Parts: sequence; structure tokens; C-alpha cells
Amino acid sequence: MNKIKFDGSFYLNPYLGGVILGTVLLLSFYISGRGLGASGAVKNSVAATVNVIAPEHVAKSAYYSQFAGGDNQPMSNWLIFEVLGVLAGAFLSGIIFNRLKLKVEHSPKITSRRRLFFALLGGLIFGFGSQLARGCTSGAALSGMAVLSYGGYITMIAIFGTAFVTAWIFRKNWI
Amino acid sequence: MKEELFVSGRNIPNIDPYLNIWHWQIPSYLFLGGLAAGILFFAAVFTILGKEHKMATAVKIAPMIVPFALILGLFFLFLDLKHKLYFWQLYTTIRLESPMGWGSWVLMIMTPISIIWSASYVREIFPNWDWKFKFLKDFEAWVIKNRILIAWPMAIYAVILGIYTGILLSAFNARPLWNTSILGPLFLVSGMSTGAAVVLLLSKDHKERKIMGRIDILLILIEIFFIIHLFMGFKAGSEASINAANLFLGGSFTGPFFAFVVLLGLIFPAILEILELKGYKVPVIVPAALILIGGLIFRFLIVEAGQITKYLY
Repeated sequence: MNKIKFDGSFYLNPYLGGVILGTVLLLSFYISGRGLGASGAVKNSVAATVNVIAPEHVAKSAYYSQFAGGDNQPMSNWLIFEVLGVLAGAFLSGIIFNRLKLKVEHSPKITSRRRLFFALLGGLIFGFGSQLARGCTSGAALSGMAVLSYGGYITMIAIFGTAFVTAWIFRKNWI
Repeated sequence: MKEELFVSGRNIPNIDPYLNIWHWQIPSYLFLGGLAAGILFFAAVFTILGKEHKMATAVKIAPMIVPFALILGLFFLFLDLKHKLYFWQLYTTIRLESPMGWGSWVLMIMTPISIIWSASYVREIFPNWDWKFKFLKDFEAWVIKNRILIAWPMAIYAVILGIYTGILLSAFNARPLWNTSILGPLFLVSGMSTGAAVVLLLSKDHKERKIMGRIDILLILIEIFFIIHLFMGFKAGSEASINAANLFLGGSFTGPFFAFVVLLGLIFPAILEILELKGYKVPVIVPAALILIGGLIFRFLIVEAGQITKYLY
């Protein structure tokens, strides 16, 4: 394993990171009774926001009314608290390994603006897809596979299979 | 389910069995009052200790926020009143057994002191400022000469103001969550911690930030200790107290309380401040803002939860 350095260059061994993440997932099931997730927190925040601005729309919408409006409390949800914890933990790790600053990470061949545009575009598509699949890499694939959910494996294969293809198409943005 | 009302026959809308009269104005005011108490306490103590040059932000700059915070807080209180035009009647009597009486008189003393205190530093911070009239200049000269004389009552009244923000709630003996004497010291310490966070936020002096950071870590530890004892006290109390505590220990306030107040509002900023003291680079705005937000949410939760706790079964 690499020697731990505090100059901003140190990253954890990915295999060790995977084991730690798996342990976190196990702890998450043990403590909260639910797995990890990310898109669910965004989904609930969006549903709660829409419910504040246009409650009639939420009541009518088959999608939003599952999460907000009526007796639903979208912001009182494990995933919301979990994502806040993720932010806090990431911040702490950034401080300890001296990597905390505002920057846009991109290939030297493209501009920050291009990177942000593609990140937003990819995020939009991924958010849409995660709702079709009822979960993202964390909620459907990671937590799903951990409980041997068939859907979890399919999601995982679909996400990474598509990623191999699209990564090749968009490789000029990185190399 | 209305059985509770049928059986007990107690149904005074918005008052009994549940209180539903205090909304955002009260916790916001309690937050601003505690913040003001904290800032003025540090300003007074550092002046008495003769450290006004070392702790310039705490003594000179941060108190300038206080008059605005107090006036805004009092305006929120005014908004909460049902009979707004009778507010002055609080000042026609002195009743030592009334927490609101204590509060109104303490604020009557603290608001002018805070205005005088910050005004006496205006020319030091903004050198182009001119007080125009001779009597104002004479008064300023007198204040500058007698700062320590003003600092003593300011420190004492700041403590009273900080405790009073908790006592205002704990005087309600019909609400088990509020009716505990630990709420006074708890709100005082929490107010001081938010005051220290404001100084941290405003200070550009590395040494001053270090001292305030240390004080803040200590205050956070005391606050956590008080919170633990608050719940220990409830758990050892009557059924009503146990039910009040259970709102936060598994009930509907558990998530927000432990996530926003205990973890993100106390423990996480304390860790960040300890890391900063250890030499790591921490953007000071993060722990300071978290402490302020945590303090505000803490008061919202206590005011909200206290109103639904009751002695009726």
C-alpha cells in the first residue's frame, strides 16, 4: 500500500476502499434497516420542493404523489440524513488529506465550462435513468446486489455496460 | 383519535392538551437573544481581562451586530404578541416571579448598553466617522474612559440574558419538556457557542481564532454534557417526562435533533475545530455556520416539541 501522505496526492487503495464501502453498507443495514442511496435523496428533495411550490401538481402526478403530498414526509427520510453524512465525511477526508479547495477537475484539453456542461448533461440523463430503474448505482446496484436482488444485478450490468460504450464515445473529453 | 379529549374533557383549542401558539418568531428570538448574550459576554470578559487588542474582533467588531440582532429579535417578539399595542405595559411593573418580566427588563438594559458599546468603537473601526454633536463626542470620550465600568454589568447581564432565554421556556410547568431547570444553563452555553462562532466567522486574526476555537470546543463539550443530562433527568422522571424525552429518543424529533443539532451542529464542527487547532486547513466558515444553523434548529425543535408535550393521559 502507498505510504499515507498529506500533501493532497494520497488516494486510498481502491480494493481497500471497496471493502470499507461494503462494511459501511453492512453497518447501514444493521443501524437503519436500509441500504445506501444517493439519487433517492435528490428525488425526495425535488418532490418536497415541488410540493411546496405546486402542491396540486404533486397531488395529480402519479410519480410525485408517491413521495410527497398527503401523509408523505419526503424530507424525513434516512437517505436525506445519509447524504448529509456523506457530505460531512467527504469534507472531513478532504481536510485531513489536504485536498479541500474549489476547483473543476477536467482534462487539460477541455475547458471547465465544457466539463461542467457534460457533467450536468450526464447527471440529468443518469437521474432520469435512475428513476426508471428505481435506483442508482448506490441504491439499486450496490444495496440491491448486497441483498441478492435480481434487479440490482441487472442495473449493475446495464450501468457499467453502457458506461463502457459511452466512455469510448466521449473519450476525447478526457484523453 | 379524539378519545383523549372525550375522556379528559379538556379541549381548549391551541392551548390544551396541546399548545399551538408559538411559531417561528419565538425560536428565532431565542436564537438572536442567545447570540447577543454570547457576543457581549466575550466582549465584556476580554475587556475586563485587558485583552481588547489581542481579541479585537470579539471586543470591537462582533458587538456591532448585537444591537441589530436584539432589535430584530424584539421585533419578532412584537410580531408574536396578540395585543401588540400593549407591549409597553411590561414596563409598568417589576415582578421577580415572571420570566417575561425578567426578559423585558434585561433587554431594556442590554439593548442600550450594546448600542453604546458598539457606538464607542465606531470611530476606531470606521476612522472617517464623525459624531457631529459635541455632547455625543463628550459621551463617547466618557465611555472610552470607563469601558471596564460598563463591561462588568454587561458581562453579568449577558449571562442573565443567556439564561433567561432558557428560563422563559422552563417556567412553563405544564410542559414537561420545558419544565427542567437545566434548560437555562443549556441555552446559555448554546448562546455563547453561537456567539463564539460569530467571532470566529468575523475574525481575521489567526491567534484570536485559535483562542475562540478553543473556547468554542469547550462550550460544545459542556453543551453535549448538558444535553445528555437533560435526557437523563427526563428518563429518571415521571411518565410525562419520559414521554417528553422519547420524542427525541426514537420519536418524531429524533432524526432532525440528532442529525442537525448533535451531529452536524455540535460534534462535526467540534471535530473540524480540533483539526484546525492541529494545523489542518479548515475553511472557518464551515464550522461557524454549522454551529449557528445547529443552534437555530435546536431552538426550533425545543420550542416545537415542548408545545406538544403534556401531563394528560
